Amino acid sequence: MIPRLLLSAVYFGLGIIIAFVPENTTKPFRLTAEQMLNEVKYRSEMVSSDELADWMVNQDPSIQLIDIRTPKEFDQFHLENALNIPLSQILDEEWIDFLDQGIKMNILYSNGTTLAHEAWMISRQLGYENNYVLQGGLNYWTETILNPSAPSPYSADDEIAKYEFRKGASQYFGGEMKSTNESKKTKTDKPIIKRRKKKKAPQGGC
Amino acid sequence: MGPLIPQEIIAEGWNFLIAFGVGIGFGFILEQAGFSSSRKLAGVFYGYDAVVLKVFFTGAITGMIGLLYLSLFDWIDLNLIWVNPTYLWSAIIGGIIMGAGFIVGGFCPGTSVCAAAIGKIDAMVFFGGIFIGILLFGETFEWIKPLYMAEYWGQIKLSELIGISQGLLTFFIIIAALLMFWVAEMAEKKFPQKEY
Amino acid sequence: MSSTKYMNPYLAGILLGLVLVAAFYFTGRGLGASGAVKSVVVSVVDVVAPDHANNSGFYSKYIGDGKNPLKTWLVFEVLGVLVGGFLSGAFAGRLKLKVEHHPNITSKKRLILAGIGGVLFGYGSQLGRGCTSGSALTGMAVLSVAGFVSMMAIFGTAFAFAYFFRRNWI
Repeated sequence: MIPRLLLSAVYFGLGIIIAFVPENTTKPFRLTAEQMLNEVKYRSEMVSSDELADWMVNQDPSIQLIDIRTPKEFDQFHLENALNIPLSQILDEEWIDFLDQGIKMNILYSNGTTLAHEAWMISRQLGYENNYVLQGGLNYWTETILNPSAPSPYSADDEIAKYEFRKGASQYFGGEMKSTNESKKTKTDKPIIKRRKKKKAPQGGC
Repeated sequence: MGPLIPQEIIAEGWNFLIAFGVGIGFGFILEQAGFSSSRKLAGVFYGYDAVVLKVFFTGAITGMIGLLYLSLFDWIDLNLIWVNPTYLWSAIIGGIIMGAGFIVGGFCPGTSVCAAAIGKIDAMVFFGGIFIGILLFGETFEWIKPLYMAEYWGQIKLSELIGISQGLLTFFIIIAALLMFWVAEMAEKKFPQKEY
Repeated sequence: MSSTKYMNPYLAGILLGLVLVAAFYFTGRGLGASGAVKSVVVSVVDVVAPDHANNSGFYSKYIGDGKNPLKTWLVFEVLGVLVGGFLSGAFAGRLKLKVEHHPNITSKKRLILAGIGGVLFGYGSQLGRGCTSGSALTGMAVLSVAGFVSMMAIFGTAFAFAYFFRRNWI
């Protein structure tokens, strides 16, 4: 009878310990280093400023701009309809539904690309899929879309066509960047949440 | 760390070898515990031999504790562990059919394989019956599909459902299991098995 | 007591739990049995009536794209169970071809009942997405709701029906 009591005591003890230690909630990485390298290598997360301008001019409803900079910078200037998620808050519960969804294409931007890329990498590690980075950031956006410089007359045709497009876009966005400053306080609706399946979990079944 | 294969820490090719090894361990223990005897298995339902209850629940709580402690020490990532999805009605009705099969046939699939391995002819017949049962299911799949897919709750854990931590739930289950073992021991004394 | 020749059930349970944890640690999945039979059934149907297999919502899940339903984890695991059971039986001197049954019933009746039980278990395991080992034991270890529901349904029903079948067992 003694071994049974002993065994019961051991299980009871193990149970008590596991009941009261906090659960291990460390979220492990979803992508291995190799997978990450591959994504970075192909730059598939990049969206060029021309592409973005085109979508914005056409008011494509499927894009969601996300400003990664601080609220202060955001208040000074931000792109139309952008949502402000400062990098330091990217893990906050309230943004999960925006960042982790399968409906809209999130385009992250900062002044350059560093902050946006950092945010993008974090989101990738969490396994989120619909996030992209604005190539060159706001600086390049201003340079190419808001104040495009005319190409030399000897440029190739497509260079000139690109300039024509940028000039048009510049007018659409109000030419000088200051005039875009009317910050619309429209809070965009939360997209419908798409729950992702657990990746790579083996298929069960008896 | 673990699980090793889904994280590609060891190659996929090892998978089947490990499956075979795990199977050997599984079969060996089932046989050693006496699960190769249908009369021992059925004993639990008449109180004369609670070996099924003891082995099954000791195994289950050991598994629970093992997984939680491995996770605690970061040796296993519980997110990568397969949690079988809950389709409420098919689990209940399927379980009822299996329970009936258990008391009629005296085995469950795993134990029948193990009993067939040591030459129990009834186990071989039972195993053959499983083939027919699965074939029947395959042929009636379209008809039963509404029930098969009904009440899908996702890959949900009981701890999430009732809103307590996994550790606390495990602790309660351990207590329940210990109580059950105690009752089973009493029952075994009360309904002694005749020697055969 | 006849049970002395078997391993202590609690010890066996602990070892069973450790095998289960090992399975999780290596492959991220637990144990199973009926899934292997399913693989065999699917393969047989695929060979005998390939068109039928491809058109069925059930079989077609496991074939096609050059998938071999027999080359799955559970098939190898169940082969291991067969070997493990045999080894254990050999060590314990329990290898004997026989029909085990209660003196009250004949061998023939026992075999018929075993066959019926097998059919029921086969059908139920597919409907319930796993048998005692795959759904109930493994499911409970990962605290899956399905595991607890299956376990209660299986054991509850067996207890409820035990009275009607008592002549076969006691």
